[in-house]
Amino acid sequence: MVEITLGTAMAAVGAGIAIAFAGFGSAMAQGNVAAASVGAVAEKPEMFARGIIFTALPETQAIYGFLIGILVIVFSGILGGGKALGTTGGIIALSAGLAIGVAGFGSAIAQGNVAAGSVGAVTENPEMFARGIIFTALPETQAIYGFLIAILLLVGGVMGGG
Amino acid sequence: MIDSPTMLKALISIIAAAGAIIIVVPTIRFLRDVVPFAYPTARVRARMGRLFTDRQLTEVMETENLREFKNYLRGFPDYAKYIDEYPIEKALESQLAEIYQLITEIAPKRIKKVFEAQFKKWDIKNIKSLLTAKDTGLSPEETTNLLIPFGELKDKLKKLTDLKTVQDIITALEDTEYGPILEAALSDYEKTRMLLPFEAALDKYYMETILEVLEELSIPKEDAEILRTYFGAQIDATNLKIILRAKADNLKYEDISPYIIPESYQLPEWKLEYLMEAEDIKGIINELEGTDYGPILAEALPEYEETGSLATFERALEKYINETARTFALKRPLGVGPIITFLSRKEAEIKNLKVIARTKREPSFPEPILKEMLI
Repeated sequence: MVEITLGTAMAAVGAGIAIAFAGFGSAMAQGNVAAASVGAVAEKPEMFARGIIFTALPETQAIYGFLIGILVIVFSGILGGGKALGTTGGIIALSAGLAIGVAGFGSAIAQGNVAAGSVGAVTENPEMFARGIIFTALPETQAIYGFLIAILLLVGGVMGGG
Repeated sequence: MIDSPTMLKALISIIAAAGAIIIVVPTIRFLRDVVPFAYPTARVRARMGRLFTDRQLTEVMETENLREFKNYLRGFPDYAKYIDEYPIEKALESQLAEIYQLITEIAPKRIKKVFEAQFKKWDIKNIKSLLTAKDTGLSPEETTNLLIPFGELKDKLKKLTDLKTVQDIITALEDTEYGPILEAALSDYEKTRMLLPFEAALDKYYMETILEVLEELSIPKEDAEILRTYFGAQIDATNLKIILRAKADNLKYEDISPYIIPESYQLPEWKLEYLMEAEDIKGIINELEGTDYGPILAEALPEYEETGSLATFERALEKYINETARTFALKRPLGVGPIITFLSRKEAEIKNLKVIARTKREPSFPEPILKEMLI
């Protein structure tokens, strides 16, 4: 059995936060867009493909959270085989989880709302598709910031043997 | 470096609790208000894309006669299914009623009651048509042509059509929510032999029902504000139309007060009473300064002075409501905004098509006059 130090425990919480917040945000966002897409398809069956594209967009935040969660788990010794993580490393891993978790959560919720609005706009006027995609992509940036900071934290503080 | 495990545990707990409270709770509250509208909004916006463009409206206006007008509408599936089944006015109204029914079905649960109350307008319209038909002695076939096959009374319409008198209609409706309202207006009808008391009582009941529902709703304040503005403007417009007509006919406030809906929006009852003290219609418009209606009616005044038709003011008020409602989809795109904008635009489209259809019965009706008659 892996020895659970305080650092490892905090890293585990960080991994949990990373996927829980980002995944929750993505799920809420995708539910929102999917509901809009179903409404659009009910009126215009040709909206199916476009609805799928808009619904898929807020998936990325969950992917970022998932990746950071895996990195934290792999490099914190939770799976065993490695050195147990120190307290400082644990704080850094927790911060990485928070960075992508919270940024991903906000980004996903915002993206879901824009995407749902875009589905409505494209259903009304199909020429709005490209513009809808551009607007929907904009709130992605906050998740990317969170993802990059989480990676930098992990590279500097955990993968380096913190 | 933090060495105390207790302190660290406390730190983690604080972060988790703060995260949950600051981020998750308000977000969930926001999503609870927004997500239920995603499905109906998409459906409504799809329908908005099918509304007539200015170019299409011009093409309808350019049709030579009623036959061509109907042929044009056959090109639109929304209208085609009713055009061959009913006379033109009934066909157009039925399409509109279908839209109201759709909105009632797809509206989010928290706001559904408003649209259910609004859907009563088809029952009320049918009751008014039945009363008019019986009062003027129309045949069952002629009566059927006036009735819109929607609303809660839909299944009773056939039976009601076969009745003979106004009194029979009121007796047949006594177990419905409209029974007591019609009963109360019956004595006025018997005195005057005019249908106005029934019509005014039903209109008042309709608006008061909507207002009651609005009071009970627990919805975000932005949505509540949109609904209050939309229905409030309708009530104000209804009251103003009564006041203007009463002034034109030299009536007193006491004569029209039973028909006034007291719970208005920008025009409280005392203000309406005050308006009636104005010397003439121009005086009423001057007194409306400071409300949204003042400039709108002032703009329509020259046309009224030229034609003497109160329809000028009625059209101006309808245009105002329509233009106000158009902004709601932008003000509240993830809430009730698009639904109200769509309903208002659809109402305007149907009103315009009805006006065009009427003019197509007259050979070579002047197009400039027709354009002025549209909302």
